[in-house]
Amino acid sequence: MTVIDPKRCDECGTCISVCPSDAIVIERAVSISALKCASCGACISVCPFGALSLEEKK
Amino acid sequence: MNDYDIIVVGAGPAGAMAAMSAAEGGRRVCLIERKAKAGVPVRCGEGVGYRGLTLTLEPRPEWIRATVTRARMVSPSGIAVDIGNVDKSWVLDRERMDADLVGMAVEKGAELIASTPIVSAEKTWSNRYRAVGVDGKGAEVEFTAGCLILADGVESRLARCFGWETALRPSDIETCAFARVKSDCIEPDCCVFYTGRAAAPGGYLWIFPRGGGEANVGLGVIGSRCRAGLPRELLLSFINRQFPGSKVTGLHCGGVPVGKWARPLVRGGVMLVGDAARQVNAINGAGLAYSLYAGKAAGAVAAKSFRSDGSVNHKALLEYQRAWAKNFGKQQERSFALKEFIMSADDAFLDKIAESLSKEDARKVNYLRVFMRAFASKPALLLKAFRLFK
Repeated sequence: MTVIDPKRCDECGTCISVCPSDAIVIERAVSISALKCASCGACISVCPFGALSLEEKK
Repeated sequence: MNDYDIIVVGAGPAGAMAAMSAAEGGRRVCLIERKAKAGVPVRCGEGVGYRGLTLTLEPRPEWIRATVTRARMVSPSGIAVDIGNVDKSWVLDRERMDADLVGMAVEKGAELIASTPIVSAEKTWSNRYRAVGVDGKGAEVEFTAGCLILADGVESRLARCFGWETALRPSDIETCAFARVKSDCIEPDCCVFYTGRAAAPGGYLWIFPRGGGEANVGLGVIGSRCRAGLPRELLLSFINRQFPGSKVTGLHCGGVPVGKWARPLVRGGVMLVGDAARQVNAINGAGLAYSLYAGKAAGAVAAKSFRSDGSVNHKALLEYQRAWAKNFGKQQERSFALKEFIMSADDAFLDKIAESLSKEDARKVNYLRVFMRAFASKPALLLKAFRLFK
């Protein structure tokens, strides 16, 4: 699934606007739902700060 | 239970204007903001055209940081075109302006509820709307109203609760990074734009002077040609090259929707405004003037659409979409079509246009001439262009 590096994230919401699965939410910080994420990578490539990446499920 | 006539979600310029005009119309309005303070950090180049802004709002003098009287466009290979004939433009202090707009909404009677992200929204059995948020202490909090105005920005998800498809195609978003640069090399009255694949693939890089030897420097890359972290890398390397040793502060990022405006803008008692409605000029990424207009129109229409028994005439809300379509909707569609055209242009094409324009009298060059030259050098596109402006 897609994971987020909170140190790099600027909380701009660009990832949310392209997510087709409604898997990313922003409340106090940005978080990704493991249940909803389809690992499509749309959010990863549009992140201006490179805060998102794919990680193998443990 | 927090019951209102109108709930506005998001206290950016669109939301604040909506809350202001709805409260002016005599409604009980709450303006709900996710963050403790709306508009911080500023995610904007802060440039705005005089005409677009003043159409809706008379700006306070303290919102204006700099007045821009000329512009320069730099082509991919470095040919500079001076654009001497620019409409009067300003560089704003958005942090101050956004805070003042919220203050003005509160003055008119809107109730501001900050630090409260809304996590879901739905229509209730009694034909009203319920929004559920999380307050500062982490407790769930409910709001109900007859009308819901969604001004929750580019990251809008709530529209999904009412059947809108909110996900943008990567080719319909500009992914941006920007910073404030302090340097002696900044021209105080000139906006500079850099184009081309090396500067900003499928977008442009901007330098907007904001007074005091400072400028907003930023760039947008089209989502379909972006990779993780590219906008940040391109911006920092440009600043290092162009303004070596300068002081860089406020490095932030953001997304700008550059698709077509969302249709419909109204569903039942729910209205979309601002970035959430994709009300952005797709050619230059400017959304402030559209947002202010749309927010004001949506709030005013909503206030008028209440019946004497307190219910909302949903049909009457459609007046907002008609007003938007008439005043800015067509223009926005044209900007989208122009964007699609520009995306098909390569660096050599941009250089060719720049070369021919650079020989002209700068005082006569305006943005329109730049576009006309672009069309004239690709005759096949002229026909397409004519259809756009018909």
